[in-house]
Amino acid sequence: MDAMEQDRVLAAVRRSVAEVLPELNMATLPVEGTLSDLGANSIDRAEIVTLAMEDLAITVPVVEFQQVQDIAALVNLLRKHA
Amino acid sequence: MAGPVLVTGMGVVSPIGMDLTTFAAALLHGRSGVTRLSDPAVLGDGPVAPLPPLDLAASLSECAALDRESRERIVRAGRRSPLPVRAVLVAATQAWQDAGLHARPVAADRIGLVVGGHNLTAAYAFDQYPGFLRERAYLPARYALHVQDTDHVATISQALRIHGEGCTVGASSASGNAALIHAARLVGAGAVDVCLAVGAMVRLSPLDRQGLTAVEALAASGAACAPLDRGRGGLVPGEAAACVVLEAARCADRRGATADAELSGYAMALDGNALAAPCVEGEVRVMTTALSRAGIDASQIDYVSAHVTGTPAGDDAELAALDRVFGLGTRPPWVNATKALVSHCFSAAAVVEAVATVIQLRDGFVHPNPTLTDPVDTSLRLVGSSPVRAPLTHGLSNAFGFGGFTSSVLLTRT
Repeated sequence: MDAMEQDRVLAAVRRSVAEVLPELNMATLPVEGTLSDLGANSIDRAEIVTLAMEDLAITVPVVEFQQVQDIAALVNLLRKHA
Repeated sequence: MAGPVLVTGMGVVSPIGMDLTTFAAALLHGRSGVTRLSDPAVLGDGPVAPLPPLDLAASLSECAALDRESRERIVRAGRRSPLPVRAVLVAATQAWQDAGLHARPVAADRIGLVVGGHNLTAAYAFDQYPGFLRERAYLPARYALHVQDTDHVATISQALRIHGEGCTVGASSASGNAALIHAARLVGAGAVDVCLAVGAMVRLSPLDRQGLTAVEALAASGAACAPLDRGRGGLVPGEAAACVVLEAARCADRRGATADAELSGYAMALDGNALAAPCVEGEVRVMTTALSRAGIDASQIDYVSAHVTGTPAGDDAELAALDRVFGLGTRPPWVNATKALVSHCFSAAAVVEAVATVIQLRDGFVHPNPTLTDPVDTSLRLVGSSPVRAPLTHGLSNAFGFGGFTSSVLLTRT
């Protein structure tokens, strides 16, 4: 169940990254890296987060994203609210 | 002005052509972009001239002289932007290439950028509102940037790497001339060597349309887009963006850039009137001031691109002003209305019309107005359904806006 939830959230993040950064190959999106490593600037990152929340039909207080350093942490935070 | 200010590049996306060549051919043939709205329930059912579908990457691939890296940088700067910003980005890139700024560059901090227009994001904000009411947390993260008119300046500057002076200027429907005049002053004063003057695309929101309807400006269902004709039925909204590259003559000389025209004079003034009412005195004043600043006599003017939007009050006031300035001459100028073809593009209008004026000066014709069959005034040389071939040297382009903004720009073939 946990793994399925993890996959569902990761898929939503991948869709959001693909929309904002269409030049990236989503099949190889690394979970351990950061969005900045992928070439996302600050507003790209904010947009990816907002799109992922909408995709998952959840809301996460903006303040909670301040602790998020990489894609894995982002997926974990979104999972907590999913 | 310290030295001549030249037009060394132009770009346009419009209902009658998504690049300069197509636009020029459409002008010559008097092709109209007016159609009917497809969503009458929300927007009403009056005539309109919408921008054709615009694909940023495909449009930029038409700018074939640019290298791939530049095109990718420009796409990346604007691909998340609302349509009006993508439209100005295409027009600015076309003008950039037309001016040869990619091949014979000018230092980034010597290039300026002035975007004419305001309230450019009303339709964008309106479109966000239903989603906002459902869940405010899903408001696009770029909203804070995209809702500002200045995002036009910011995005173009990032895309084209412009580091000189830049800002927006606003003067209602005279915003395009305000941009040209501000840009000409920046170049003339030596603040920059090159300045892009951009007319921003306006997409009306349903509120904007209703507002214009309430002041009886907007053409109703079934009305024609027919400025200067007795069958005129009000203004028809159009969507376009345009860009003119203005450049100091010494800079153009240095890098071997060619120019089709000089921006040889201009004037802008207020009527001291906050209404949507035209003022003959003010219109006469800006035309004569633009002429006298350039040292040109009214009898030397070959062509006038009239502001006329197709409202009886506005058309009649401008015709009266034109009669006052030119009516006593033995050879009055040719007069037409580019709005008969592209409709009223609001903030972009005067830059679109400056581009049209330079094309007509360059190619030696005055474009037809197919909807002009029963002119309200016969003392001027109005152009009807056929183009007029004529050598043109001096062309005057008028733009007037709600709230007493009056302006006139003089363009001279080089």
